[in-house]
Amino acid sequence: MQSMLGKAANTDWFGPLVVVIAAVVVIGAIEPTFLSAFNIQVLLSAIAVNLVIALAQMIIIAIGQMNLSVGAIGGLVAIAFAGMMEVWGIPAPLALVLALAIGLAGGLANGFIVAKTGISAFIITLASLSFFKGLNLGITEAQPFYGVPDAVKAFGNTNMIGPIPWLVLPAAIAGLGIWYLLAKLRIGRQILAVGGNPHAAELSGISIFQTTVWAHGLSGLLAALGGVMVVARLQIGQPSIGDDWLILSFAAPVIGGAVLAGGHVSVAGTALGVVVVAIITQSLVLFHIDPFVVQVVLGALILWAVGINRWREVRVERRLRGAS
Amino acid sequence: MTKTAHAFRLLAAGLLLSAATTAAHAAEDTLVALVPAGPHPYFSAWEQAGKDAAKDFGLEGGDYRVPPKWELSQQNQLLESLVTQGYNGFLVFPGDPVGGNGVVSELVEQGAPVIAGGGCLKEPSDAAFCLGTDTGNSAYIGTQELIKRMGGKGKIAHFAGFLVDPNTQLRIDAVNKAAAETNGAVEVVQVIADIDAPEPAEEKINAYLAAHGNEVDGIVTTAWIPAVVSANALRKMGDKRIKMVGIDHDEVVLQAIKDGFVDGTMLQNPYGQGYIGTFALDRLRSGCTVKEDAPFASTALTDRFIDSGTTFVDASGVDNYVGAMQAITKEIMADFETNYLTCE
Amino acid sequence: MQPASSLPLGQPRSAGSPSFVRAGFLGGNEFGLIVLIVVFATLFTLATKGFASPFNLFTLGRTMGIDILIGFSMMVVIVSGGLNLAVGAIGVCAVMAAGWAMETFGLPWPLGLAVCLLVGAALGAVNGEAIVRSGVHSFIITLATMSIFFGGMVFLSRAEAFRELPPAIAAFGKLRLMGFLSPLLLVAVATALVLGWLYRFTSLGRRMLAAGASPKAAEVSGIRVDRTIVGCHILSGVLAALAGAMLTARHGAAIPSMAGHLGQDWLLPAFLAPVLGGTLLTGGKVSVLGTLLGAMLVSMLTNGLLLLRVGEFWVQAFLGLLLLTAVLLDLGRRRLLARHRIAV
Repeated sequence: MQSMLGKAANTDWFGPLVVVIAAVVVIGAIEPTFLSAFNIQVLLSAIAVNLVIALAQMIIIAIGQMNLSVGAIGGLVAIAFAGMMEVWGIPAPLALVLALAIGLAGGLANGFIVAKTGISAFIITLASLSFFKGLNLGITEAQPFYGVPDAVKAFGNTNMIGPIPWLVLPAAIAGLGIWYLLAKLRIGRQILAVGGNPHAAELSGISIFQTTVWAHGLSGLLAALGGVMVVARLQIGQPSIGDDWLILSFAAPVIGGAVLAGGHVSVAGTALGVVVVAIITQSLVLFHIDPFVVQVVLGALILWAVGINRWREVRVERRLRGAS
Repeated sequence: MTKTAHAFRLLAAGLLLSAATTAAHAAEDTLVALVPAGPHPYFSAWEQAGKDAAKDFGLEGGDYRVPPKWELSQQNQLLESLVTQGYNGFLVFPGDPVGGNGVVSELVEQGAPVIAGGGCLKEPSDAAFCLGTDTGNSAYIGTQELIKRMGGKGKIAHFAGFLVDPNTQLRIDAVNKAAAETNGAVEVVQVIADIDAPEPAEEKINAYLAAHGNEVDGIVTTAWIPAVVSANALRKMGDKRIKMVGIDHDEVVLQAIKDGFVDGTMLQNPYGQGYIGTFALDRLRSGCTVKEDAPFASTALTDRFIDSGTTFVDASGVDNYVGAMQAITKEIMADFETNYLTCE
Repeated sequence: MQPASSLPLGQPRSAGSPSFVRAGFLGGNEFGLIVLIVVFATLFTLATKGFASPFNLFTLGRTMGIDILIGFSMMVVIVSGGLNLAVGAIGVCAVMAAGWAMETFGLPWPLGLAVCLLVGAALGAVNGEAIVRSGVHSFIITLATMSIFFGGMVFLSRAEAFRELPPAIAAFGKLRLMGFLSPLLLVAVATALVLGWLYRFTSLGRRMLAAGASPKAAEVSGIRVDRTIVGCHILSGVLAALAGAMLTARHGAAIPSMAGHLGQDWLLPAFLAPVLGGTLLTGGKVSVLGTLLGAMLVSMLTNGLLLLRVGEFWVQAFLGLLLLTAVLLDLGRRRLLARHRIAV
């Protein structure tokens, strides 16, 4: 079982990696500006934010559920973060902590209700999506908060070393953290076990209740981090932050080989999924492709990834059958 | 924002003088709702405008009521609810030039006059008239100003708003028209649309400038958020070579004009729309009717159009942009009643 | 026989056979919803002016009719144990196709409606086939197709609305029977009767329920589960198209933005109604009446909250809380019933 997972994990990131390398080489050859420092910085900023968003969804996919409220939590945290700094004059570090706490609380609430009632996470997070978004609109009346301190703006728009923006730092920490959690920590293994087979997990003494609550809490925390990063990048607390996250948050993990039924996800695969989406979005602009086509391409991309995953699954099944 | 609000109060104070004479015979039960198509910074000036007009002319109220989403159904639902709540005059930015007509005629049937504000309804319509920016013309003038600053030749990138907003296509056409008139000296090399939201705007505009920034000579933006994002991007790149003409009066854009990263912006006059619209609705309720032979302008949508004004400001005029809007509003306000209305 | 209904929502059923018998009418979702509707209607009539006015009842009925249809379009796929995130995209694509056909070829409205429903059916079939053939969960497939359908529509139409439709369409949307009744509500009720008949009296309906309850058991008993699931998606497409057609009647134009970006604004009403009505997300159980009442309750609450002036922006937060409360109450009720039965 373990070795099979190991093998599958190997192939998880391999496909998207090949696509990424090929795309970079081809696009770079046609459009040398693609590899310019400024462009790399723009790409990395987009990737950093989107990775955190994708991880927020990935952790829930890992336990075999879905979290529709990722964007709504991110949006609520974003306006709370900016609002606290503008209206109450709270210093940025404290506002950051409070903002992350709001996200964590929102996620824990999701997890608690899902685990306590056994109602599908789809319905619960649909309801909480509406509630969080409603709070956001009720507080802001759809007007952005402009009073973002310069330090926060600088964090979202300046570089750490060379063309690498500061935003990459929290994304990298989040990515490594989630990887470590899933691979090495007990809670991570429990999340994957519950996602893989809840019944077996329960029999082996894992508390499904606690695991679900923690996974959702983690998801809320990551969504909150994403929201804060977007505020830093956009330099305003815009209420519509998070509205567009849903498709991306599923696309990247799925491209990265996550099994929607749960139990199997890949941080590296998800990261590469984010890179693929970012490169495609950017190359559409780069090659003057009709803006009307963008939606179609994104949708097709998801189908393509799903098709590949499905094909691989069938192959693994066949190999297993042959082995046994 | 607060700075802008203050500016609007100044603007209101200036207008009151000219309007004081008409305040005497207003209908005291007039309750006007100013309803945009959805939340958007452009309309925030309507809130103050409605309040000011209600105070200046002695109305029961002039309330700014926003549909929570930029969606026609939500706007319709809100309008239906508002008429049930007792609002009896409506300044509406139609969510769709045709789709808005159904609900507007129902409002008029309930005895509440309607003025289309900011954007027009397509005829035949029961709206009294349309008070808004001639969006095509504004984009055309803006592009001409840009071309002038580019020395009459070069490549332009155009960053536009929601594709589902019918004004977007008008603006794309207008920008292309202005470029075409240079006989090939100026070319619109890229139109990026559907980016009147911060995240996609940030992503696409930055990606475009990163890849093609050295190939374009000018940027024209015809929606609020692309203007803000482009201004920020040029500042971040430290680029003063690329010429840019923005739209509207966001602080970011105005500051970028002062600092030389942006060359100018096409002002619209949302405050004037809200103020004059509220005033006119009250007059219509107090027995005035729209003149048959009023000096209306014509647009693609309607032949009962009143231009609420659009003007180009650059670094020399940016400090006094409120004055520019005030001048236009005053001018329309001065003989509005004699020009457009027949009163008992 | 109540094995199915006593299970909490979202938990996989063990029983294989479809169940039409519920835990008595008084203990059922439907009764609870009727009580809620009566209570809130009384409350709103007393607390607001105008809730019971003919105009408000008319506009409320119109909104209800559309929301009911949207709820049905999701309900018929939930029955099969799947989801259809693309309902909004299909609805918009269908009416845009019909709008194009009517404007370009001058088709009369009955043919336009036929085109609309056919396109809906075709797109539903695409969803169904993709799901069945790939074996991938309908969530992901319809997430992708919602993007593809909507993007394709925007690409082909250039996001321009079709506004030159036969006037009969807009007239139908504005028609008032007896001063307060919208024919759109009657269309929804008629659709409910047809769906009720389908699930109760036809073998196709029973097959759909059986396939949703337990695909394996259904397969064993000779049902072609794949074909049945495709059938559910086709039905969903048709109902979404009908909802779109009704919305078009209300607006008098086929507008690309009428269901929001990617059609995702339909998702909340689409799930609210069936889930409030007690249709299990795991499939196999359906309550047509419950979905109808659920949609009516949601539309009524939205309308009432607007009239109470809780603030347009807070309505969505209330609806989210409502959905949450409803599923929790439902769960409590089911558990109570289960315990009660054991005690007896």
